[in-house]
Amino acid sequence: MSAATTPVLELRDVSKSFGPVVALRSGSLAVGAGSIHALVGENGAGKSTLVKVVAGVYRRDGGEFRLGGQPVDFASTAESKDAGVAVIYQEPTLFPDLSVTENIFMGRMPLGSGRLSGRRIDKGAMHAEATALFQRLGVHIDPRRPALGLSIADQQIIEIAKAISLDARLLIMDEPTAALSGNEVARLFAVARSLRDEGRALVFISHRFDEVFELCDTVTVMRDGSYISTDRVAETTESQIVAKMVGREVGDLFPKTVAEIGEVVLDVQNLETAGEFHGVSFQVRAGEIVGLAGLVGAGRSEIARAVFGVDAYDAGTVTLAGKPVPAHDPRGAIRAGMAFVPEDRRQQGLVIQGSVGKNIASVIRSRISKSGLITAGSEYAAARPWADRLEVKTNALDMKAATMSGGNQQKVVIAKWLATNPKLLIIDEPTRGIDVGTKAEVHRLLSELAGQGLAILMISSELPEVLGMADRVLVVREGQITADIARDDATPENVMAAATRSSEKAS
Amino acid sequence: MKIRSKRYAAGAVLALVASLGLAGCGSDDSSTAGDSGGGGGGGDATTVTFLPKALGNPYFDTSDAGGKKAVDEFGGTYAEVGPDTIGPDTQVSFIDTAAQQGVNALVVSGNDPQALCDSLNAARDAGTKVVTFDSDVDPTCRDLFINQATAEGIAKVEVDMIAEQIGDSGEVAILSAAANATNQNAWIKIMEQELADNHPDIKLVDTVYGDDDDQTSFDKTAALLSDHPNLKGIISPTTVGIAAAARYLSTSDAKGKVALTGLGTPNQMRDYVEDGTVTEFALWNPGDLGYLAAYAAKALVDGDITGAEGDKFTAGELGDFEVGADATVLLGEPYRFNKDNIADFDF
Amino acid sequence: MSTDLLVEPSRQSAGQRALTTFLRSRELSIAIVLVLIVIAATLKRHTFVFSHDGWRDTLLTPSILLLLAVGQMVVIVTRNVDLSVGSVLGITAYATGKIFIANPDTPVVLVFAAGLLIGAVLGAMNGFLVAFFRVPALVVTLGTMYAFRGYLTHQAGSKRIVAGDIPANFEKLGTQQLLTVPVLTLIGLAVLAVVGYYLHTARGGRELYAIGSDPDAAHLYGLNVGRRVFGAFVLSGALAGLAGVFSVARYATAFAGTGRDLELQAVAAVVIGGVAIFGGSGTVWGAAIGAFLLVTINRALPILGISDFWQGAVVGGLIIGAIVLDRVLSLRRAHQLIEARDVTEEEG
Repeated sequence: MSAATTPVLELRDVSKSFGPVVALRSGSLAVGAGSIHALVGENGAGKSTLVKVVAGVYRRDGGEFRLGGQPVDFASTAESKDAGVAVIYQEPTLFPDLSVTENIFMGRMPLGSGRLSGRRIDKGAMHAEATALFQRLGVHIDPRRPALGLSIADQQIIEIAKAISLDARLLIMDEPTAALSGNEVARLFAVARSLRDEGRALVFISHRFDEVFELCDTVTVMRDGSYISTDRVAETTESQIVAKMVGREVGDLFPKTVAEIGEVVLDVQNLETAGEFHGVSFQVRAGEIVGLAGLVGAGRSEIARAVFGVDAYDAGTVTLAGKPVPAHDPRGAIRAGMAFVPEDRRQQGLVIQGSVGKNIASVIRSRISKSGLITAGSEYAAARPWADRLEVKTNALDMKAATMSGGNQQKVVIAKWLATNPKLLIIDEPTRGIDVGTKAEVHRLLSELAGQGLAILMISSELPEVLGMADRVLVVREGQITADIARDDATPENVMAAATRSSEKAS
Repeated sequence: MKIRSKRYAAGAVLALVASLGLAGCGSDDSSTAGDSGGGGGGGDATTVTFLPKALGNPYFDTSDAGGKKAVDEFGGTYAEVGPDTIGPDTQVSFIDTAAQQGVNALVVSGNDPQALCDSLNAARDAGTKVVTFDSDVDPTCRDLFINQATAEGIAKVEVDMIAEQIGDSGEVAILSAAANATNQNAWIKIMEQELADNHPDIKLVDTVYGDDDDQTSFDKTAALLSDHPNLKGIISPTTVGIAAAARYLSTSDAKGKVALTGLGTPNQMRDYVEDGTVTEFALWNPGDLGYLAAYAAKALVDGDITGAEGDKFTAGELGDFEVGADATVLLGEPYRFNKDNIADFDF
Repeated sequence: MSTDLLVEPSRQSAGQRALTTFLRSRELSIAIVLVLIVIAATLKRHTFVFSHDGWRDTLLTPSILLLLAVGQMVVIVTRNVDLSVGSVLGITAYATGKIFIANPDTPVVLVFAAGLLIGAVLGAMNGFLVAFFRVPALVVTLGTMYAFRGYLTHQAGSKRIVAGDIPANFEKLGTQQLLTVPVLTLIGLAVLAVVGYYLHTARGGRELYAIGSDPDAAHLYGLNVGRRVFGAFVLSGALAGLAGVFSVARYATAFAGTGRDLELQAVAAVVIGGVAIFGGSGTVWGAAIGAFLLVTINRALPILGISDFWQGAVVGGLIIGAIVLDRVLSLRRAHQLIEARDVTEEEG
């Protein structure tokens, strides 16, 4: 095949930074026509950044980028689209109010011919073409209905139909199966194979290894923003890929000190929220770090939010230090001794325009207020010891949180919660978006806190972090805890296996 | 602004208590006269500020122009300020500002009889003479009211005109300004009485409010005609209202069938008198009104009059005037404008 | 019944489908309310429609708001709003008067063109700030609403354009009729037809809907969002300018306060007409019917024995009612659409 000689897509040492945060160090990828190429890596390995560079959402800082052998540099998504690149995001972006057909042809609707109708859209031709596309894809979607109310799977099909109608030569699918049911995955794969057989190039990003092995012919591994390896799927194994993804010696980066495990602090029994998780029972003891591992969307964050009371739950009990914690009442949970550092610091954890001092003092306002008034002095007095203890690198407490690095922001959020003297700290993705150096500091901090008797429930999508930090790993898959693995028994392989076995195989 | 007017209100109350204490059971008029004794007219030019209900109303443009003429004659300093919309309290800030500037006299057409009282009294406490014209405020919060015509005189001329035009029988309606306009409401009340007493065959079927806004008045006229198919006449005792009503009538089937009269200005009504939509309407001369108000203000500032009944003063070319009951000066009888004389006027 | 349409379009002919869509449309429901009000008022007083003046006023009075509502709809469908239209109307109305004072023989066509142009320029100022500086439209147009009005007050001061300033042939246009339909209404309806046709059949029109439906997605699709939003504001301004000329033709007067509060009536007409205030859905036909409904209610209420003082409350109730109805309908529709999809899923 001549397609093998000139790859459709070729990236070499592409880099991209956002301020001080390096998102992509040196990404490389070569995809040939008629191939389905898997791109795998931990969360934060730089896959999505790479995709957005190809799509024209971001402009690369450096490196080579060729399409069909020609060097390209996209300034907008329109340019990448014109060059034959189609990207299907995890959450498709459709116009809910417009019809399915209009969504497919938006921006390039066919016009009628002739003098009078030359400026109007030829709706008949457009609907006919949409119907033909769906027939070819073997799906039944009314092209005239609005996109509102379509499932994620249908929306992805529409995105694919759009890509085909654009005659895209490169189709990138970013975790398309994350929200799909078994049937929908099968349908998507059938479509993907037929596109491959037409000679198009496909990039498939997934965390599910069974899917990678089922669908793809080649696999490229990324780690920490860099290219690691490319192999033919037939010539590699799941454990080899996992080893490349994890890469480093587990433990090096994560200075976990052994802490004395004490009494049960958190006791969760049969927690259930319809449609999200069910039958969730676990305990966290004083001094213990329990890792909650699993794929994005498996229900880990939802469980944590329910335990803390941010979300309501349908059944089950939460007990903290022997006392029941009221449901759906975060204030009650704080009073009972819980602290919760959410995943999205910018949205949920920090008053991003506020000063560091204000942020740290914000959860203990009632304690530091004097007859209802909070002075800057009292805020800083309360905030100072925590900032010192956490070595927050900011010269003054009145520096704005927004201007700090991700690592320091995270420390400010942790400091904020430690000021409440909690018994249990729930922390969701503690090091997401944080550079490697600061990661270790956050980890040392968590380890120290556990050593002082704090019970910690840590949610993390980064396998090495879970394996390095946790005394015990609970694996969540599709709303259930499917494995409870002690620190010494936990390996990347068995955690990944418990997290990724897809539903057909499990049931 | 709220806070400031409250403070003034407190001041006004204190002043009132003090004056009551001094004057015992004496009338308000004499007590205010006592207050103003200290001010005295200095050698400087008398400053007179005109505050109409709103700017952009040609009626007030004319009256204020008359005021300016008078002020120029006696060598004072003239100013005109005002809101661009009519509302119960839109004039308050202008009164407060004038008081702060220490003008000698403020000539006001009040949008509301009560809402301005606190500010006006505060201004008077600060030494400013307050003369109202066109629309009076509560007598306790001004020194003098220049009455363009007595309410009785106006009501009577309007009823007389409509009676003449419709043959003294049939349905009529009133298109007024705002529902809370002092003078309009007073006239309407008297018109109702006059109709009941002397014109038993004329039936007043509706009173609507055009808020002294062209389009609202226009639409209300349309509504009146459609609501009352047997309507024979419309009385609009407001210059904006009558012009808008005439505009609607002039393009309507009702032109020439439904009579329209009321208070209007010659310039606004000229087209409609000439094309037969309107036969006759009335008004005093607003220029004379402003002219008289300015001279009255001057007389107050100079201490020639105090506002007591029987006080006499001379108002330039208009001649001599005497203060009547309730510190009121009457301009004279309303004037009727029709095809024969309208060309003589330009305001 | 309805789900059939959603699942299997092929079962129905194009004509049937159009009929079903029409019968289920939001526009029809307000049109029915409008007709009911007209019927009620006419039963009470037959001259409401069956007289020369009544018939003319029923068609003519809404024509100014009709223009504003059409322009406002195009802006709102892009998830923006234009609060400056009342002030733009005031400026062009006053300018129209000034043009006639300067030269009473100015051709009428030229005056209309001047109104459109002045309005378009003012609209372009709004569009420029919103589309290219990314300032929220609510803030920009609230600012220009005051700024334009302030400029007009400065220019006009206490002066007023009166009937004597306006040449007779232009004044006559305000009430001129063609086959009993007022000319101003005909122009308004022609504008409505052109804008409606554009919105539904041109690429640009559909892109306006797309932008309002999901602005982020519109950027991802590579649509020229800035240019389209700019165009929407220019159109809204131009139509407000045209409405200013209409206003002079109809009322033969203009002053510093002309057009005040009309911007809110325009927004109300659009919302009552079933256009989503957050953009993306609704039709210009709905906005037009909303304008007719709003004006007609004001005319009909006194006839139905409801006093002036309650008219504001009735209009407020209508707006809230329309929004609640839209919410209920859209929830039901979303539910139906999801169900329809599930049915397909089982079949497939």
